[in-house]
Amino acid sequence: MRSVITLTILFIVLAVVGPLLAPHDPTAINIPHRLSAPGDEWLLGTDALGRDILSRLLYGARWSLGLAFLISVIGLCIGTLFGLIAALGGKTADWLVMRTTDTFLAFPELVAAVVIAGVLGAGTGSLIFALCVTGWMRYCRVARGVGLTLKTRGYVIQAKLAGMSALSIARWHYLPALLPSLAVVWTGMFARAILGISALGFLGFGVQPPMPEWGTMLLEARLHMRSTPLQMIWPGLAVVMCVLAINLAGDALRDALAKENNAV
Amino acid sequence: MINIVLGLLLRTAVVLTGTAVATFTLLWLAPGDPALAVAMARYDSIVSTEIIDLVRAEAGFDAGFWPAFRAWVFPLLSGDFGRSAVTGRPVLPDLLSAIAYTVPLALAGLAIGLLISLPLAIIATRNPGGLLDRFAVAIASLGTAIPAYWLGLLLILLFAVKLAWLPAMGTRTPLHILLPALTLGLGVAASLTRIIRSGILEARTQSFLPAFKRRGVIDSTIGKDHIAPHAAIPVITVLGLELAFLLEGAVMVEVIFSRPGLGSFLVNAVEARDFPQVQAVVIVAALLFVTINLLIDLIYRVIDPRIGESNA
Amino acid sequence: MASAVLRIEDVSVKRGRLFTLEHISLSLTAGRTLAVVGESGAGKSTLIAAVLGLVRPASGTISWNNAPVHHCRPALVMQEPRAGFNPALSIRQTVMEPVVASGKPISADILEQLCGQLELPVDLLNRRPGEISIGQAQRASIIRALIAAPPLILFDEPLSALDAVTQKQTAQLIAELQKAYGFAALIVTHDLGYAAAYGDEIAVLRAGRIEEVTSPREFVSAPGTNYGCQLRDAAIELGALEQTV
Repeated sequence: MRSVITLTILFIVLAVVGPLLAPHDPTAINIPHRLSAPGDEWLLGTDALGRDILSRLLYGARWSLGLAFLISVIGLCIGTLFGLIAALGGKTADWLVMRTTDTFLAFPELVAAVVIAGVLGAGTGSLIFALCVTGWMRYCRVARGVGLTLKTRGYVIQAKLAGMSALSIARWHYLPALLPSLAVVWTGMFARAILGISALGFLGFGVQPPMPEWGTMLLEARLHMRSTPLQMIWPGLAVVMCVLAINLAGDALRDALAKENNAV
Repeated sequence: MINIVLGLLLRTAVVLTGTAVATFTLLWLAPGDPALAVAMARYDSIVSTEIIDLVRAEAGFDAGFWPAFRAWVFPLLSGDFGRSAVTGRPVLPDLLSAIAYTVPLALAGLAIGLLISLPLAIIATRNPGGLLDRFAVAIASLGTAIPAYWLGLLLILLFAVKLAWLPAMGTRTPLHILLPALTLGLGVAASLTRIIRSGILEARTQSFLPAFKRRGVIDSTIGKDHIAPHAAIPVITVLGLELAFLLEGAVMVEVIFSRPGLGSFLVNAVEARDFPQVQAVVIVAALLFVTINLLIDLIYRVIDPRIGESNA
Repeated sequence: MASAVLRIEDVSVKRGRLFTLEHISLSLTAGRTLAVVGESGAGKSTLIAAVLGLVRPASGTISWNNAPVHHCRPALVMQEPRAGFNPALSIRQTVMEPVVASGKPISADILEQLCGQLELPVDLLNRRPGEISIGQAQRASIIRALIAAPPLILFDEPLSALDAVTQKQTAQLIAELQKAYGFAALIVTHDLGYAAAYGDEIAVLRAGRIEEVTSPREFVSAPGTNYGCQLRDAAIELGALEQTV
């Protein structure tokens, strides 16, 4: 748990503080110095419009990490809600929710996201919507699974008998038991959201220029691959580092939970 | 057993109906006048209201949701995907030729993935926790974090631009498939290595294996008859997941390498707002996906009858 | 005013195609104890679940004071005492749940008084379920059952998780508390000795049906059915009926 919390804080700090560290305005066009090599003035060089790549990367963290965080948390809320409805709402509700989940899982994630984002019109709103719609099912399945086992636990039955409201039972008995497993799913989905945002950006369906999103930057850099290949390296490297860090934190969390479960 | 199979088939039917409704609803609710979009795409200039109305009536947009849905879904059942809103040509032949480009790419990617991951996982698990094992795990973790589009660009940069060994763009020669397939295959290899590795390790810890060893059953027999089936279940699961990865990867890879195929077909259709084409790709992808998952479910039950008793 | 009564009238419970309870009729007056004895699988737990409303009967009615049972907020003391406590919460939090749920204010000394009566150190309430003994957990779950002063408490094998000495203490404690608080107790147990010693009435449950309902004395001297005889003889052989006979 600690590794995930540390990482989350690190990313939030990066997204908040990052832009403050940026040496230039990320959207300031400087044609005379376009496509310049890394140097003293532009640490990582400039892009086709002469914008400072380092500054764009730092501002991009806000888009990539911030949006991914938002999307994964929205998915978490929707999925958990539906999962608990399935687990606690009786047979009909369970069947309905599970078939809905199956239906959404039937679309390959990126294909569905491309269609939704593309059809709704390129833009940040469509991007968020598309990735939320395709990103809640895992949470739902996990929440339902945990919910089904909790439902028959003695303390949940006792709380129900005592007349506790559904809300307080959810708050005190379900949430604490759900959190660890959901946190593991969340790390995975956070990483996927980062990849999804940049993939859609790269296809031109994501965050729109001149906003410096990493995938969009890659799309622009691709045109100048032959003359300034380095320009293409940076945004990709940023994505890989973030995703790798999140995945490793998720693995550590899962191992820690497995150990805890074995100990009990 | 028959009941289980029937149940699975029923569930599949429900899911497919759901996908059709969901797809159609999304496109129905899409902002903007689809008729206008089609007319603009078709005539490529400012169009008069008459033409827009003509297009609207032709596509059945004026009939209301359910009539339009029925007009789309019933021909679909007999394999009629309608006509492209932009070119006016039937969707199916174009779609099939796109699939014909994507399938070899996906298979080549899968083959490369297996060629890398199987030996790597087997060598790694010879000595769990050893140097080779940790190296394999690290490479696999890194591999899953690298997005396909970036990997593709890096490969182009290295093999096509710097070294000029391999062609990158288009499909002119058979050699053109190498870089795209490698891009897909490396991604597949990364996730497969992790899963095969943990599958082998888990099977090894099964309690009956030490007993076999003590009784003198030789190692190769243990590996073949006892470890392999246990490692097979996660591998089958993953092959199902890999299909998703291959499909998604194909979208990106085809765009990067300017290859025709399902991915390019999808992206072009979405950009042109050619809804019949979009619907066709999405439904075919979902159908493919659901069918594979159904097959996996059935195979599970053949390998391990215990699966499926618990989850209804 | 006539005192309140738990009435179970002609209740059948189906699980799948099988009946787990068939045509059960029982009644229990406020302040008294009904002991339901039977082997494992006789349907005892199903009976408890039906009374609490956790299982819907296929036919028949269950009422307390001519109203659905859940209106009186009955409490349950479970066989496995630790299972009733959320491992992530303190004992106090769980014990106070019935009070929190009722929304009525309650003075802190009732909790202390109950702790005193049950000889449970008050500071134990701040621990987690994993940090107390099973006997302590069982006493804590009795506190939880009593704290909102319900008129009806159900005991599902309340002694079987405990060791012999604690069993005797707990049985006596439950009887004393009943005198003090006047709740009706429905005790389900396979322990005929316990049932005979503390029940005002004994109902014999076998394969989902009530074989007989008698007073303990009568049951020990002359059971009304063959099955009752078998049960009694087996219990005498084990020395379980010493205190009553």
